[in-house]
Amino acid sequence: MSSNPKAIASDFGHKRISVSRIWHKLGDAAELPMVWLIHICGWSAILFVLAIFAFVFREAAPMLFGQLNLVEFFTSEKWYPDSVIEPQYGILALLAGTGAVTVTSMVFAVPIGLGAAVFISEFCGGKVKETLKIVIEVLAAIPSVVWGFIGVVVVGPLIIQTTGAAVGVNVLNASIILALMSVPVIVSVGEDSLKAVPDSYREAAISLGASRWEVVYKVLFPAARNGLLAAVLLGVGRAIGETMAVLLCTGHAVKIPHSLLDPARTLTATIASELGEAVRGEGHYRVLFVIGVVLFAVTFLVNLTADLVVKGIRGQQHD
Amino acid sequence: MIETKKKDPRQSNPDVRRYIVCPSASGEGQGAMERTFASIETALAAISRENEVANAADDSNTGGEATLALDLIDKLEEADGQRNKPRYRFFYDTHLMGSDGDGTERDPWPDLPSAVAGMTELHQSGRLALDPGDSILLSRRQIFTSTSLERRRKIKEAIAQYVFMAMSLSLVVPVVAILAYLTYKAWPVLSWDFLTLNPQSRMTAGGIWAPLIGTFFLVLISLLMAAPIGVLAGVYLNEYARDNWYTRIINLAVVNLAGVPSIVHALFGVGAFVLAARCGESLLAASCTLAVMTLPVIITSTREALAAVPMSFREACWNMGASRWQTIRTIVLPNSISGILTGIILQVSRAAGETAPILFTGAAFYLKVADKGWESFFPYGLDDRVMALSMHLYTLMTQVNNVPDEIVYGTAVVLIGLVLAVNSFAIVLRVYLRSRKKW
Repeated sequence: MSSNPKAIASDFGHKRISVSRIWHKLGDAAELPMVWLIHICGWSAILFVLAIFAFVFREAAPMLFGQLNLVEFFTSEKWYPDSVIEPQYGILALLAGTGAVTVTSMVFAVPIGLGAAVFISEFCGGKVKETLKIVIEVLAAIPSVVWGFIGVVVVGPLIIQTTGAAVGVNVLNASIILALMSVPVIVSVGEDSLKAVPDSYREAAISLGASRWEVVYKVLFPAARNGLLAAVLLGVGRAIGETMAVLLCTGHAVKIPHSLLDPARTLTATIASELGEAVRGEGHYRVLFVIGVVLFAVTFLVNLTADLVVKGIRGQQHD
Repeated sequence: MIETKKKDPRQSNPDVRRYIVCPSASGEGQGAMERTFASIETALAAISRENEVANAADDSNTGGEATLALDLIDKLEEADGQRNKPRYRFFYDTHLMGSDGDGTERDPWPDLPSAVAGMTELHQSGRLALDPGDSILLSRRQIFTSTSLERRRKIKEAIAQYVFMAMSLSLVVPVVAILAYLTYKAWPVLSWDFLTLNPQSRMTAGGIWAPLIGTFFLVLISLLMAAPIGVLAGVYLNEYARDNWYTRIINLAVVNLAGVPSIVHALFGVGAFVLAARCGESLLAASCTLAVMTLPVIITSTREALAAVPMSFREACWNMGASRWQTIRTIVLPNSISGILTGIILQVSRAAGETAPILFTGAAFYLKVADKGWESFFPYGLDDRVMALSMHLYTLMTQVNNVPDEIVYGTAVVLIGLVLAVNSFAIVLRVYLRSRKKW
């Protein structure tokens, strides 16, 4: 039973009880409970997703099925949750803020992210590749609150200097920060999907006389299309869900932004800034949970789509 | 058919034979320059005549000079100075077997006489629009050199490479610049005292010991909960789960759990741990929230580490009569421990950096904790609220007035440094353990 040669040797001599023998006996005895435990833990992910939805929904439910007018909720710009006389819960401006920041950040992040993914995967090797990967890991590792700090103390003054805007915290600032935050996701997923294209595709193209750019443009992009799309979607998911950085960088004005230099506020930042002041169990508090349900649903959809898109390539590629 | 605007070979090759065409010169061979002609016709005639002479001298039909230039100029005095960009470039290639061509690089004339004939015909039919100052280049096409098509593709490839490189550099530059700037600003305050002193006088002085130790306990407790569950879930997904519909649902759940926004985790923490489980805002509730947040990534990294163990290892073990659990315990886990550990360590830095999930589940703006003695190492109970480094940075930025800049920068730098130190430890561990891999 024991794989330790010393323990086996001791079996031939006088019967000695070795520590490793006890350890292995214990390990074998634990088989049944451990298998059960492994199965339970395996299911835990489903449990937690359901629990997240259930608990957020539970706090939101009285509002969602009670006084909240859903049409007004999504189409009104009036966000006066604190009003004593007549609180108004319209999240259109917040949706617009999230949309503006997400779209603008993706305008920066998608080309740069995919370009860096192509460069890392196809155009460089050895030490350059390792260095770039480390830089990407550093970008991914910097905490979101630090990104927010960087936005306020570095990017903000830069924006004021270059554009002459009155304040540095606005849609542009948050977009730059969010772009830097979501680039690592795009690069790593994009690079993985380029790596997943079989080398025989590249070899076939090169043997036909294609240059490296033609290989990338005419062979790899079509072949890795779904993976690259998934990379973009995951980046979008990251940008929508980001909280602390946008809380600090957007300028915190509940208004539909009309230009890049306007301040805005996102759904996530609203929850983060107002949940602390909202009175537990009252309308304001519950409506923040309703926003949580909306966010959960949106990111769920984005991630689901990304996942299905990735599964799509696996189905197509047979080699 | 007429190629224009090519790189001028006269600049790289001074041995180009020049034929100067100057209407003001009266006859052949006049002036300072050797080959000066009154018209293009006479110049062309001279070219073919010289070629015949050269051919008679040595019988090898190589076709004479590599490049001939016909320069049109106004006055003879200008002949020395300028060398104009060629208006037309023609080619001939004596290695070709074909008899015909139109003088382009792709389809050159087969020899010099036919090149002269072709140019004469072009000139007489009026298809060469030449002004004074223009010139015509006639080159022998080099074999084994790139054609214009290939050159264009090379240029495109180089452009693509530089654009992609610029995109990658646009990630490197901000990272380096930001890290350098923050460190520079924080430099005056960075010291051992900054790490080990508690915040003083309304957080405008002192160090960051209380938030630092708070972050340590948050990370420790959350990983104590998340790591076993995550590793076992990874084991289930890689070793036990078959490819059927509920495995697919579990995978989907893992992916989506990883994508849930951190602020929704905070709402979940409030709803589940603070309210439903009656933990209140506490270290325990915040740690649980962080644990749920880090769980999916631990599951994924464990699964990848397990999948990297070759199937033959398991098969060999099963053939010895070992059960699935014995195989996992003695073969699969020991061989994948490096990947599993790396995944868990990377979550240390993630948990340490997150602010939103602990914002409403247990993080405090400010707490007075013991300055000295063993109590300062265990300042928080499980049901106490805690200070955390990330939260402390947020507080310093938004809630407290008159904080000296260095303290805020210092807190940010310590947070980044902590996270990067943990990450580089993980990378080093990964490299070290990979080098000891047995397969």
